[in-house]
Amino acid sequence: MIFNSACTLTGLLKFRRYNKYNWDGNMERDNPQQEGAEELNICDQPTESPGAYADTLATSLSLLGNHMFPYHGEVVDRDGKTSVSTEDPAETLLPDPTAVERTPTLEAELNQKADTERQEPEDIDLSAQSDEVVLTEASEEFVVTMLARSKLEEQGVGTEGTSSLLSESIIEEAPPLQSHRDEDVTAESWRQHRKHVFVLSEAGKPIYSRYGSEEALSSTMGVMMALVSFVQSGDNMIRSVYSEEHTVVFLQKGPLVLVCVANSRQSEQQLRAELLYVYYQIISMLTQASIARIFEHKKNYDLRRLLAGSEKILDGLLDLVDWDPSFLLAAVHCLPLPSSLRDSLSQILQKAITPNLVFSILIAKNQLVTIVQEKTVIEDARLEPADVHLLLNLISASSAFQAGEIWTPICLPLFNPDCYFYAYISYLDPPECTVCLLLLSTDKEAFYAVAECKRRIEEAMVAQNSLSLIAKAQSYSVSQVGVSDLRHFMYKPFDVPDNHRQLTQFTSPEMEAPYSSDEEKMRLLDLYRYMHSRIHSSSRPLKLIYHVAERETLLAWVTSKFELYTCFSPLVTKACAITAITKLLRWIKKEEDRLFIRYPPKYSTTPNPSKSSRKSEQQDSTDNGFMSLL
Amino acid sequence: MAAVTQEKQYTPSLLSFFVYNPSFGPREGEEEKKILFYHPSEVEKNEKIRNVGLCEAIVQFTRTFCPTKPVKSLHTQKNRQFFFEPEDSFWIVMIVRNPMVEKPNKDGKPPTIEYQEEEVLDTVYGAVLRQCYSMYKLFNGTFGRAMEAGGVELLIPKLEKFFYRYLQTLHLQSCDLLDVFSGISFFPLDKMTYLKIQSFVNRVEENLRLVKYTAFLYNDQLIWSGLEQDDMRILYKYLTTSLFPRHSEPELAGRDCALRPEVSGNLLHYGRFLTGPANLKDPEAKFRFPRIFVHTEDGSEELHLIVYKAMSAAVCFMISASVELTRDFCERLDALVGPQLTLLASDICEQFTLNRRISGPDKEPQFKFIYFNHMNLAEKSTIHMRKTASVSLTSVHPDLMKILGDINCDFARVDEDEEVIVKAMTDYWVVGKKSDQRELYVILNQKNANLIEVNEEVKRLCATQFNNIFFLD
Repeated sequence: MIFNSACTLTGLLKFRRYNKYNWDGNMERDNPQQEGAEELNICDQPTESPGAYADTLATSLSLLGNHMFPYHGEVVDRDGKTSVSTEDPAETLLPDPTAVERTPTLEAELNQKADTERQEPEDIDLSAQSDEVVLTEASEEFVVTMLARSKLEEQGVGTEGTSSLLSESIIEEAPPLQSHRDEDVTAESWRQHRKHVFVLSEAGKPIYSRYGSEEALSSTMGVMMALVSFVQSGDNMIRSVYSEEHTVVFLQKGPLVLVCVANSRQSEQQLRAELLYVYYQIISMLTQASIARIFEHKKNYDLRRLLAGSEKILDGLLDLVDWDPSFLLAAVHCLPLPSSLRDSLSQILQKAITPNLVFSILIAKNQLVTIVQEKTVIEDARLEPADVHLLLNLISASSAFQAGEIWTPICLPLFNPDCYFYAYISYLDPPECTVCLLLLSTDKEAFYAVAECKRRIEEAMVAQNSLSLIAKAQSYSVSQVGVSDLRHFMYKPFDVPDNHRQLTQFTSPEMEAPYSSDEEKMRLLDLYRYMHSRIHSSSRPLKLIYHVAERETLLAWVTSKFELYTCFSPLVTKACAITAITKLLRWIKKEEDRLFIRYPPKYSTTPNPSKSSRKSEQQDSTDNGFMSLL
Repeated sequence: MAAVTQEKQYTPSLLSFFVYNPSFGPREGEEEKKILFYHPSEVEKNEKIRNVGLCEAIVQFTRTFCPTKPVKSLHTQKNRQFFFEPEDSFWIVMIVRNPMVEKPNKDGKPPTIEYQEEEVLDTVYGAVLRQCYSMYKLFNGTFGRAMEAGGVELLIPKLEKFFYRYLQTLHLQSCDLLDVFSGISFFPLDKMTYLKIQSFVNRVEENLRLVKYTAFLYNDQLIWSGLEQDDMRILYKYLTTSLFPRHSEPELAGRDCALRPEVSGNLLHYGRFLTGPANLKDPEAKFRFPRIFVHTEDGSEELHLIVYKAMSAAVCFMISASVELTRDFCERLDALVGPQLTLLASDICEQFTLNRRISGPDKEPQFKFIYFNHMNLAEKSTIHMRKTASVSLTSVHPDLMKILGDINCDFARVDEDEEVIVKAMTDYWVVGKKSDQRELYVILNQKNANLIEVNEEVKRLCATQFNNIFFLD
């Protein structure tokens, strides 16, 4: 959408003004004048001037036109057309020039729905047969998902509030909206949010908003897109907008535009990195290739159709980004464990293998316990911390995973943004659900083989009493370091042995008093973020920052070997702080076997090493398992 | 050939500067009426309207999130756009092109241009923009005043006349932290000399009852001012960056070869007008002085600005604009002030050289620092060699100056006393201290020093230069 006329932007704004009042999701596309007339204080009719301006209006109307296909309607459609043939979804995305306007989009979806629908009777069967895995010719993903859901219902958890991307996408009755989706977007409380995040398509169609519903914000998002394309039309790119309280950061990735509006005083660089996480999380569900393909064929496709139910995953991600410094440091936090225990767990994972298994990951309390990697695959590309973060978020955001076994396609965007892995997710300690096993395979059909791996892992862990040993492990207190003025720290080494293709890790104690309240915790995290932004400034990086304020003294230090952030009581002297850091570094050295995964083990499962996942999956990405789930 | 393959570095430069008021052309097709001033003026009309439209859209957009605090800056790949709404609905926008590097390509391909997006500091250029308005207001009063007096027809030519010239004096490549402070450099003085100056000011105001306000400067540094702080701040800026530099050459000549030594009575007289008549003896002389606007309790008042100088001492006399200034008045002023000021100037000079001899020989300052006090706007820099209208020469690398700017920006986040010590990639140490309303920035070139030694050095500086100011340790 490129604007050529001088008046387009103001035109759009005016349009927005009256649009706000009579918005009801069913706006008439062809009658903006009438709408405007109804609005009392509109002094000028926006459609009077012809040409480009009218074009803009039309465009913006069509941007907002997605409401002509309300979700509720689909239920009806679905009922009527359950017998639609099941073509390859990718092909149905090809626009049919003769079709009526709505067909290209809807048809694809109807096909998906139909796919789904066909399985519905089995769903019932499944709930009847409960735990037993029933294999049909249909996609295993679906079956397993349904299995998970039926289990949930069995436990009386109900569907409310347990909307995983998988279960919710199947439940057609309008899923219960979270309260912040119902927020009044004109209210002061909405404006006060620390960080808004919006995702929209290049056509200005809303895809996601962290607070408030996309419908209510569609005009705001339309303006965002207008700003992006207006600046673009001048052969330039919009980066950010600063006001006294807010920083607005724009990020364009392929056909998606991500916007963050923050009053957290974070740096632009950091906010953009966070938007990139959001983008990657979307990619992890749909793959970059299929998103590109979808928008190539239909520019104003409503991507929410494919992401329905996954808002919770994005919400969860954004909460994690705010509270977990892993994202800031781009490093993985692993659970401190005696190295003997970690080694034995690694060996268990290492032994339970099946062809095409590429990563075996054990997680406890949302922290990494151990990770075993396929040799040839990591020769190709290393596993990035960001991919691990996305996996951890996926697990923690979907309580539905807590029941049964999940088999779901997932893309690791930094590993390869265009291909799917198949993730097997299962908790090993129901009902507490703190220890989670994640097995990634490149083989879509490998569910049973991978489930068998899990069975063997479980057996071995029972034999070694591993679960109770893991349960004892916990984060440590800074007092263990034995330096009186030290309140908290974050340490990220670069010199882990076998650094080659090693996962970047960091270690950090629990936040304790005076950082016990949420408010104080966030304040300390914000201080770390500020130190991080200055020391890693893209234009003026620094080696060291020593910062004295009234409530604490902070020191950030980056060397070729490590990166360290420390927080001291405010009265510490510089000499004391330096002694404290020497002691701290010595302590970490002594404890490193416990604090880090030092020698991540490997296994070899690829029958044909040349056929690594990077290439082999590429052609498969069209049949993204996600689509078939919907 | 070597020259062809070299990279070319471009400093930040002014792309455009405009003033608009969205309420002046609310209707479709009337957008042009919103634009009150646009630089460069040769830009095509539609382009102007487009750019103003974008600004309006951005303002509106940011109001979605905070209705009372709209946009201050817009960052794009190629430039930075600064917004300022000094008066209700009047917006001033300044667009600065990011610095860029042009890298030549082989085989006759056009060169690659890389924009350096993080080099322009918002705080610095935001301050420059606000200064543009303050300077306009000093000489023209508010926009609102022009609107009341003659509407858009009066305002537009005023804006054009002022900004056309003023924008040429903006040197965006050398703006730095000092523009953020926009402080006043005070001349250090002993009590006796200070009292002499005060009694001089009182005597003149007594004898020339028309004089409403007086300001006294020596060596481009302020000693005494009867104006409000904010008015003095912008007047000081005008005097030191525009008026004085323009007159500095005849001044230098005058000191050495006694260009116009005049004896009235038995007193030496080096006095002359920097504004108004260049030569009182000239029968054609015009007695027109620049008019300035200063704050009063109920708005503003318009004044004649007389700047009179003898050797290194300069005095500003401000007289209500309602009075017409005559030859007679100027002659009286010249006769009264000329000899006294000459005497005073040589007194100060003597005192000054005496003090200097005590404090040691004149050499490169040991410490490179910038000090600013928000309460009295006092500013001191040993980093800036000389601040003239055209360039401000600093003795440190621009990157270090930007680090100072970053620290200053961080200090503004919290209203607390703070201290920041950083080590740059070049191993320079930069120390920033904020205490009460005062800020101090020190650059240390001791590359092998550690944190504790740096701390000791700064303590030494504070002890010698600011022994009566408490800084958080």
